[in-house]
Amino acid sequence: MSTSIRLPAAVFVSLSLALTACGTGDGGAAAAKAPGGPVKGGTLTFGVNTEPSTCLDPHQSPADVAGLFTRPVLDSLVSLDTEGRIRPWLATSWTVSEDQKTYTLQLREGVKFSDGTPFDAAAVKANLDHIVDPATRSQLAAGYIEPYEGSEVVGPHTVKVSFSRPYSPFLSALATAYFGIESPRSLEQPQDALCKKVVGSGPFVIDEYVVQKGITYHRNPGYDWAAEGAGHTGAAYLDKLEIKVITEDSVRLGALTSGQVDAIAGVPPVNVRQVRADPRLTITTRQAPGGNYNYYPNTTSGPFADKRVRQAFRDGIDFATIVQNLYFGAFQPAAGPISPATDGYDKTLEGKAKYDPATANRLLDEAGWSARDAEGYRTRDGRRLTIRWGFLKAFAREQRDTLAEQIQAEAKKIGFDVEFVAGTVNEWLEKYPKGDYDLMDFSWQRADGDTLRNLFDSSSIPTDAKFGQNAARLADKDVDGWLSDALDTTDQAERAELYAKVQQRVTDEAAVFPVYVFNYLLGAGEKVHGIGWEPQAYPTFYDAWVEQA
Amino acid sequence: MTAVAVPATRARARVVRPVLVRLGTSVLVLWGAVTVAFAGLHLTPGNVVDLLIGANTVTPEVRARIVADYGLDRPLLVQYVTYLGRVLHGDLGQSYQLHQPVASAIGEQIGSSVQLMLASFALAVVVAVTVAVLTAGRRWARAVFSGVELVGISIPSFWAGILLLTVFSFGLGLFPATGGEGVESLVLPSVAMAIPVIATLSQVLREGLELTLEEPFVLTARSRGMSDLGVRLRHALRHALLPTVTLAGWMVSYLFGGAVITESVFSRQGIGRLTLTAVTNKDLPVVMGVVLIASLLYVVINILLDLLYLAIDPRLRGA
Amino acid sequence: MTTSTIVSPGVVIGRRRRRVPRAGVWAAAAFLLVVAVIAIAPGLVAHGSPDLTDALAALRPPDGEHLLGTDANGRDIFTRIVYGARPSVLAGLAATALAVTGGTLAGLLAALGGRVPDEVVMRVVDVLLSLPGLLLALLVIAVAGPGTLNAVFAIAAYTLPGYARLVRAQTMVIRRSGYVEAAVSLGLTKARIIARHVLPNAFAPLLVLATIEVGTALVAASSLSFLGLGPRPPAPEWGAMLSAGRDYFSVAWWVAVFPGLAITLTVLSVTVVGRHLQRRVEGRLS
Repeated sequence: MSTSIRLPAAVFVSLSLALTACGTGDGGAAAAKAPGGPVKGGTLTFGVNTEPSTCLDPHQSPADVAGLFTRPVLDSLVSLDTEGRIRPWLATSWTVSEDQKTYTLQLREGVKFSDGTPFDAAAVKANLDHIVDPATRSQLAAGYIEPYEGSEVVGPHTVKVSFSRPYSPFLSALATAYFGIESPRSLEQPQDALCKKVVGSGPFVIDEYVVQKGITYHRNPGYDWAAEGAGHTGAAYLDKLEIKVITEDSVRLGALTSGQVDAIAGVPPVNVRQVRADPRLTITTRQAPGGNYNYYPNTTSGPFADKRVRQAFRDGIDFATIVQNLYFGAFQPAAGPISPATDGYDKTLEGKAKYDPATANRLLDEAGWSARDAEGYRTRDGRRLTIRWGFLKAFAREQRDTLAEQIQAEAKKIGFDVEFVAGTVNEWLEKYPKGDYDLMDFSWQRADGDTLRNLFDSSSIPTDAKFGQNAARLADKDVDGWLSDALDTTDQAERAELYAKVQQRVTDEAAVFPVYVFNYLLGAGEKVHGIGWEPQAYPTFYDAWVEQA
Repeated sequence: MTAVAVPATRARARVVRPVLVRLGTSVLVLWGAVTVAFAGLHLTPGNVVDLLIGANTVTPEVRARIVADYGLDRPLLVQYVTYLGRVLHGDLGQSYQLHQPVASAIGEQIGSSVQLMLASFALAVVVAVTVAVLTAGRRWARAVFSGVELVGISIPSFWAGILLLTVFSFGLGLFPATGGEGVESLVLPSVAMAIPVIATLSQVLREGLELTLEEPFVLTARSRGMSDLGVRLRHALRHALLPTVTLAGWMVSYLFGGAVITESVFSRQGIGRLTLTAVTNKDLPVVMGVVLIASLLYVVINILLDLLYLAIDPRLRGA
Repeated sequence: MTTSTIVSPGVVIGRRRRRVPRAGVWAAAAFLLVVAVIAIAPGLVAHGSPDLTDALAALRPPDGEHLLGTDANGRDIFTRIVYGARPSVLAGLAATALAVTGGTLAGLLAALGGRVPDEVVMRVVDVLLSLPGLLLALLVIAVAGPGTLNAVFAIAAYTLPGYARLVRAQTMVIRRSGYVEAAVSLGLTKARIIARHVLPNAFAPLLVLATIEVGTALVAASSLSFLGLGPRPPAPEWGAMLSAGRDYFSVAWWVAVFPGLAITLTVLSVTVVGRHLQRRVEGRLS
């Protein structure tokens, strides 16, 4: 990885859409009501709450929304189905070497990028090399294949990818949109150009992306290489696809209810009941995999360096009740660091967390924070129990700011003075790598259990040299060992066991305060059918169609 | 009606001189805006290169290019001249956060904002003129509308926007809440933005109308049997319009600021929201660019209004 | 030909002043008194803490227990509006005070400092007036960062030019009126002349302008808070309350209505009182 400070990946991923489905049936929105078969033609307009305004290119951008915006244009080498199995797409088959360090992929023939360039082994090499090229400044994708050594064009449609160590999550990483295959000719452009337009072999072709407005696509008529398991083959049904950026929740909802858009992302939780009650609308929810929306205490300095103080914060605030009420049941309270939709989720954590203010108060007394000042905050040696929270209001979605204020007020009841410190991204960027904070919050969506390595491995601790997601700054030798062992094995049961150990340890250490499991809430009008789900949980439009009036 | 007869040469002088003065002031204003932007950049604590880059990372080569482009390794005065020169060539710099030149980022957004500003300006003029003509000098109507105008002046436009959205879009479903296309989507935001303009404009217009209605020539017109409405529209309005030209500067300013708020309330694309995002992300090149564009717009509109002023005021036209 | 000078939407200085009915002026004054009282001592009117959350009582409509309902955090909106008076009003007042001070100094410098300072100050004022106010404020915040104090400076920066112009104009009038010359011939120092003669005469119109402009400053401050550039949560600032509540308007109208009403009524009252003062002062002068 490059040694410069990267864009606040965590920030943007906290704005991100989800990866991987939890399997609430196979259909898309309103698929059940489809009268007759799919029809060709028409435009589908989709309203979203965020956009990859800084950069569209998923090789560069860490934002999941970059995946949503580019998935219609980009195919991947493999896909991940709802059961978590790897399925062929642009790669028809693959073999893994004995030592699990080399992957040989057999590629599909006859595939063309929309600019006419043929798809071949050289194109795959160009893409992977582009991702890890320091000049690309990849903020996420490169990190997903960190031990990458290089690719070798074995034949026109055979490519060999090597790693410096056994690397089991490679194929599931390949299935994400971050590894979408772009036209090698397009990759020759400057990085900035790729931020506005990417060219791939997908079912749609980008017309134009205008920041704040949205992106428009038209059908790629020659498309004939859908992923195995897709709803149909051949070209997409829709003539045109439009994604509109509508950041205000109420306005986006209004656009859906008034029929201005056909479907929206992020139905505001407060309006879920209202949308469900409307016979013209449907809601489809998908549970996001990966790190839940969690709060991470800084375990290395400040009050939270003391485990008892962390426990007190986690158990002395009724997170579950607050989440249930604030989100009207649309999001579930999180039981552990990762969501139930993630590979390797440890179910045994459920029901273990309990709201216990009495114990919290006792723990704080024990930790020496026993005195109270005039405002009711706890103090120790005359210093107030202040928690500096690097909360970025500008990027808060899903009423996270409202939630944060609620937590702030609840924490006050057990004597914590929670202060929101980071005003701008710059200040945040300044403080985050230095560990100059007591609390951070974000969600981190990734389907693979390896997401735990992003969140808790000591090598993921953010420093000036490397932007990591281990905001708790946890350095636990056991955790590191288990995570490394999990990389060496492709045996699912064995990996699950190792990941369970990690989840239990970080819970015992109170290195994470689980908040809620993010659900993708997709609202759609009755004329819309067949919206699918990216194996990694944002909507896809290849099979989508709209009833023609 | 009787235009005051003025010899042609004097008339020309009367036309040319204010235009020259205006042009001079305009250049000054533009120069001032560039200076303000430059000062903003250099008064900010921190490394100028870092400020220009904002919350982003760039390669050392890009860094070197920024230093060269802005002449940052040279004395402040040279930097200032360099910056001035670049702006003169229409180069507003590069947004390192949006990965595109500032000029093209603004270019993508300004159309939508101008649409909104023009729509609310037109709405404001039509409504204000109607209200003023109908209420001037009429005791009760005037009293009622004065009250309404006071409220209109006092209501913050973001609240007006929220109320309009809640009632007309979410409640009654009469108008769409967002969208770049179609006239309907312009209705609510332009009304929200026009409210204070209408209130201010109609006050000034009515005041002008009432003054004019007492003038002798109005009496003459009336005595010739012209209807009341005819007098108001054909004679009084023209005179009453003159003072409103002084409002123009304020209106341009107001509409620009209003765009920031209205666009974010209604989730519209536009230069206002671009600015707001740039401010939150400390994307200084964009903020500076918008400041320059705003002052340019101000200058252009004022020149246009001066010409309009000539058109309205018969005394300034040649014999 | 121009009979009116427009400084801002609230300030139309013209020949004719329409009267606001006396009852209206009294009502406005009374309202401002209430705002002043709750800003100074919110505890007199509202009981309980404005930050007290209750997840189980979120988004309750107005009733006997919660006069104006509760917000998404279950906080009592009435209490928050009462406690919000201070931060909401103070920012506007502070910005105005700052602008009046700065504007007066600049105006005096222009009027009395000689030709060069006059040209410089007035051209700077021209430039500042030509930039959209909110944009100027945003530039200040982009440079200095968000926060209450910076918002105050930002608003002061864009209301200052109006005062500078007014003070300069008033001072010029006084200078030409003869009694400054008289004072000079009597051997008085410049500072003394300013303090004794110039300032008292410029004071009344300045007060009028400032009163009315407080309204503009209030709206500006709440706009900045609404845009997320004002005080930090959980400060119950009115604009910030509206901003935080905007996701809930579709199901809870009271979250949207009451904080906005508080701002509007305050600004309206300031404008009414300001205009009344203006009429009185101008009546006295002419």
